[in-house]
Amino acid sequence: MDVHNTVTVPAGQSFNKIYIAGNEEALPGKIVVEKDAKAEIVILSMPGTEYECSLEVVLAGRGASADIAGAYVCGHDEKIRISVDMRHEVPDCTSRQLFKGIAGGHSSVDFYGKITVVKDAQHTEAYQENHNILISDYAKVNTKPQLEIYADDVKCSHGATIGRLNEEEQFYMRSRGISLEDARVLQMISFLSPVLGTISDPELHGQKTAELEEAVRSIVKAI
Amino acid sequence: MNDILLKVEGLRAGIEGKEILKGVDLTIRRGEIHAVMGPNGAGKSTLSAVLAGKPQFNVTDGTVEFMGRDLLSMSPEERSWAGLFLSFQYPVEIPGVTITNFMKTAVNSHRKGKGLEPLKAGDFLKMMREKMEFVQMRPEFAKREVNVGFSGGEKKRNEIFQMAMFDPMLAILDETDSGLDVDALRIVANGVNALHTPENAAIVITHYQRLLDYIVPDVVHVLKDGRIVKTAGRELVAAIEENGYDSL
Repeated sequence: MDVHNTVTVPAGQSFNKIYIAGNEEALPGKIVVEKDAKAEIVILSMPGTEYECSLEVVLAGRGASADIAGAYVCGHDEKIRISVDMRHEVPDCTSRQLFKGIAGGHSSVDFYGKITVVKDAQHTEAYQENHNILISDYAKVNTKPQLEIYADDVKCSHGATIGRLNEEEQFYMRSRGISLEDARVLQMISFLSPVLGTISDPELHGQKTAELEEAVRSIVKAI
Repeated sequence: MNDILLKVEGLRAGIEGKEILKGVDLTIRRGEIHAVMGPNGAGKSTLSAVLAGKPQFNVTDGTVEFMGRDLLSMSPEERSWAGLFLSFQYPVEIPGVTITNFMKTAVNSHRKGKGLEPLKAGDFLKMMREKMEFVQMRPEFAKREVNVGFSGGEKKRNEIFQMAMFDPMLAILDETDSGLDVDALRIVANGVNALHTPENAAIVITHYQRLLDYIVPDVVHVLKDGRIVKTAGRELVAAIEENGYDSL
């Protein structure tokens, strides 16, 4: 790991950033969050982008928190590799990871997420979710959550799913005159919206929602 | 003018190889309100799903004509454009999609289906406001996610709001009374009654008499084991309430 590629969030401060896959500014390899500091990261990967990232987050001071969210939309032959290593090294820290994505075309997605809670890191709250929708028979998703918990007074959970677009929802929308294509777009926006919901700035939220909607629309035509 | 809106003949349909509708005949004319009553498992919800075009159901025999068109060859969205509306027994929640966004997509899809330009934003919002007021939905619901966190009554009110937005020729109300208290029932029923004209029609599907105290049917059918076993006037409702479905 490149040692220069570490961001430290000093005590009491917050670090807040949206990373777009394929853009010049790359995600740091490591983020260290100190006492009462906050890291809020959103990663977005749009169709046609190859993306590989490996992020280590260290919650290094009491009261530190990390929110890492990501959405990926693949409709061609993208390869997405996301690896997050969340380390709770002291007590009273909170982490949330939420990754959601759509895999179409011949794309392949690998998600590897690990939560480590060391022995002394009591009162940790750590959550991790990775949910995927497959919209093609040729797309592949591998998701591998992992928990290593050595403390005994913690709240930790993880969930991973791979599913398809819900047909009940689709029928409801179509019965209102919404075309199958538009219904799929709405469904995908609906699915990805919790990730967008982590963007607190309303203007950025609106802008990224519009971009994702366009991305989703571009891959729906190929279904 | 032909006053027949819907003509169902010998309709057989099922799901996953299991036949549920075993030959249904039903004719609905403009201006009429029909009630379809029946015990659980009779096929009431299947009938509404098949008429609205739910893809999971297979039609194995029979014909359905809607305003002179072959309904069974149309997609669910085409049926909606043609003037059919289904109010769901269990309206679906769509997190992350607001009612405004959902309805804008739906209304403009209708317009596109009819070869019209999208509605201007101002006109659309005005229409939303009017129709929401009509079913006594508070304006802040426009920004709520579709059906997410709604009570049973709010979900059904949202269905009737959507019905008002589309002003359909034929509305099918599938167990609209389930999960409603009396006040919500009255609001929903008032909405349906106010939308009823001599030009359009409605099918009210229900297990109980309750809703039919508020929406008074012209014709009452009893569906049992996939067939309509009795058709009569509104007096049939009271007879069923007294003697149950077993006597039929």
